[in-house]
Amino acid sequence: MPVRFLRNASELADVSMESPLPVQVTNARPVPADTLLVATTSVDTTANRDLLGSTSTELPTLDGCGQYRKLVWFYFRAGADSTTYRVLARATDHNGAPLGTGWITLATGTLPGDANSWGRIEIPSAGDGYYDQYRIEVWRTAGSSNHNLTSKIVGVR
Amino acid sequence: MSAERITRREMLKRLIVAPVGAAALATLPVREGSAAVLQPYYEPYFVAVLWEGRTRCDSLWRSLKGDVVAILPTVQGATPYDRLYWTGYALGSAPVNVAMRVLARAVDHNGVPLGSGWRAIGQATIQTPPLRWFRVEIPEGHWDEYRLEVRSVTPRLVYSRVIASQGYWKE
Repeated sequence: MPVRFLRNASELADVSMESPLPVQVTNARPVPADTLLVATTSVDTTANRDLLGSTSTELPTLDGCGQYRKLVWFYFRAGADSTTYRVLARATDHNGAPLGTGWITLATGTLPGDANSWGRIEIPSAGDGYYDQYRIEVWRTAGSSNHNLTSKIVGVR
Repeated sequence: MSAERITRREMLKRLIVAPVGAAALATLPVREGSAAVLQPYYEPYFVAVLWEGRTRCDSLWRSLKGDVVAILPTVQGATPYDRLYWTGYALGSAPVNVAMRVLARAVDHNGVPLGSGWRAIGQATIQTPPLRWFRVEIPEGHWDEYRLEVRSVTPRLVYSRVIASQGYWKE
């Protein structure tokens, strides 16, 4: 015996693949996005300079990110000289101390875009993040003039 | 906690005559503060209407709002949304042939764009028979501002609604 339901207030319809029962999402909350960082970095040839300008490789660029499924890195680059970026991540213990030294490399490559262009990079590019700390490094690998890189990083839960 | 039934007049008198009882307020349940709650653009909606209205298309690249000022956004405060949907309907008896492009940019904490210009997310031509609906999905989300532009050699009116969706998690 087919199951029928009231559709469009006045129409009785059989339940089928094409005409499923109406459902409503319950006990769900919207996923907010938080701005985690806005910074301008002077990009030079120092290989391990992060977006905050730090060259201390054990310091994170972003901390307390364990609740975020993805980070979205928006940037505007003022110069066209070839720039390499590296995205590193790691987990911490309950006290906020990293589980070990060093980092996992999530991504590395040439920063896309020409002079005065925008870019967008998802971290990680596939799958989910939920790492506690991230370090994002940029450095110039060609050309002779440093350029400014203005970044905004949004965490998405 | 005890309750007391009072009239509106009595309530007004109390509000005017004396400051609100701080002790009573302190016992009220409060929501735990967090960075997410403090985000100025956080809106507790799964789907929000960002803009709706009518655009008079001509041979110039115009925002859906009608302006030709390239620095102005069509929609703002779109950070929480992972996807935008633009649904439209073009008037006129001739087949629809409207060029469209979608631009985006990010802003800093003061609402100032990080840089000049826009990132071009996509460009296409909407071609339909007359008086038909069309829909454009913009999957590149979490930009702060978008500019949606249209252009048509044959002038025509386009009715549009731009909505944005957030993901959600189940509790």
